[in-house]
Amino acid sequence: MTKIVNRLKFVNWQHFVVITLIAVVAMSFDSCKSSGKLTNKEKKAQIEMYKKKMKEIINGTTTLSLEDQEALIAEAINKNFGDEKLNDLILKAQQVTKKAYAAFEKDNQAKVAAARNKLFDLLVNKQNLSADQLEDEMNKIKALNLGNTEIDELLERLEKKIGEMRGYNTMEMKLKDKIESIFQSIVDASKAGNTSMANSRIDAVLNYFSAPDVPVLIIISREGSIVDYDKPTTIQDYLNFLKDQKENRNNLDSYELDDAGKIKVLDLIKK
Amino acid sequence: MKRTMVIVGLIFLSVGLFAQGNDDLSPQRKQAIDSLALEKVRDLSKYISIIGNKDTPWSEAQRVIERAVELFMPGSEMGVSSLSRPEVHYYKLREYFDRLMQLNYDRVVIDWYKIQYVSDLERQPDGTYVGVITVFQRFQGYDKEKGLVYEDTTKKDITVYVKRKETQIGGRLIGFWDVLLGDIRVKETSK
Repeated sequence: MTKIVNRLKFVNWQHFVVITLIAVVAMSFDSCKSSGKLTNKEKKAQIEMYKKKMKEIINGTTTLSLEDQEALIAEAINKNFGDEKLNDLILKAQQVTKKAYAAFEKDNQAKVAAARNKLFDLLVNKQNLSADQLEDEMNKIKALNLGNTEIDELLERLEKKIGEMRGYNTMEMKLKDKIESIFQSIVDASKAGNTSMANSRIDAVLNYFSAPDVPVLIIISREGSIVDYDKPTTIQDYLNFLKDQKENRNNLDSYELDDAGKIKVLDLIKK
Repeated sequence: MKRTMVIVGLIFLSVGLFAQGNDDLSPQRKQAIDSLALEKVRDLSKYISIIGNKDTPWSEAQRVIERAVELFMPGSEMGVSSLSRPEVHYYKLREYFDRLMQLNYDRVVIDWYKIQYVSDLERQPDGTYVGVITVFQRFQGYDKEKGLVYEDTTKKDITVYVKRKETQIGGRLIGFWDVLLGDIRVKETSK
């Protein structure tokens, strides 16, 4: 026991404290790894990985979607590696995605505009398509998945129209024939000098329209998707025009009905 | 370097302007607007005939005058000649139609014929197509007792302006050709 006590007296305590401190520092370095901090080697590897990904975005060889590209760029920025070359590549990649977004938006807008025009044409059924043909055209537009509220609304209207056509097709055909026949009778009465008869036919046909100022559009040329019209007029003026000119130069092309089943837009086409 | 870029820019600009000045309508569309303009002149001839007709009720004539005036550019004039005087008088359209209604004959017959282009529609830098259509007008004035008391034939030139415009109708974008007639000039008058 006395030996042990004597040995403790001879221990170099300063040496002991230094060794203990070194051990503590070494242990703390070891624990850094498990708390998420990177070693230089790992940091370098990550920088290279991000550089590679940024180059792929810049060169357009990336397989990532635009959203994923944007997320990857944000991730690289947040890592804040402080690498000049990587930062330069991030900036360039940002510009590339920005341009791609603008192009995508432009393309989408063009598709929406084309779909809108097509849907309006289908709604007035310019080409006298059958309900089945209209449905085919409608499905083509649906397949574009444009995600646009206005287009969805027009698709809904078209769907309703197709349903109505399937139910009332015969009635609509009769209406078209009836209108054309009354137009001709106005011309015939006027040619015969019977103005009062022409006027009474005008009054009669106006009952088929929502109002005397219902727009009348006259197609003068149709070439592919380009349709040229004469200056728009109203049904009241058009009927008087038939009476004044004593000539029926146009055929009924299409029309749109309101909720009461009256014509609210009339499309005519040059014979 | 800057100078080169400016020169290249100017070349592109001039090429662009040249391209804009070109007529880019297909023959079918051009023919459609040619016919439309001729049709408006024929419409006018019918309106003139109705307005001049002493059997046309006043209210009906007024309605037709409105429609006829709509065919013209604002401020347009109509040339009026007579075999009894050498000079041609020019009247604003509305005044011309009012005078036409009140002509001192018991019966008036006005007939337009040989309506054709004397100068084809040509595209102007602002996109308007301008042309000249010529017409021959046969005028006959009758008296109840004496019968035909005056008759002449006048050759008239009508300037036509056609411009494509757009409007929204029921949510649809409509591209239409607005045809407007300009001054109607007397070229010659004969018996």
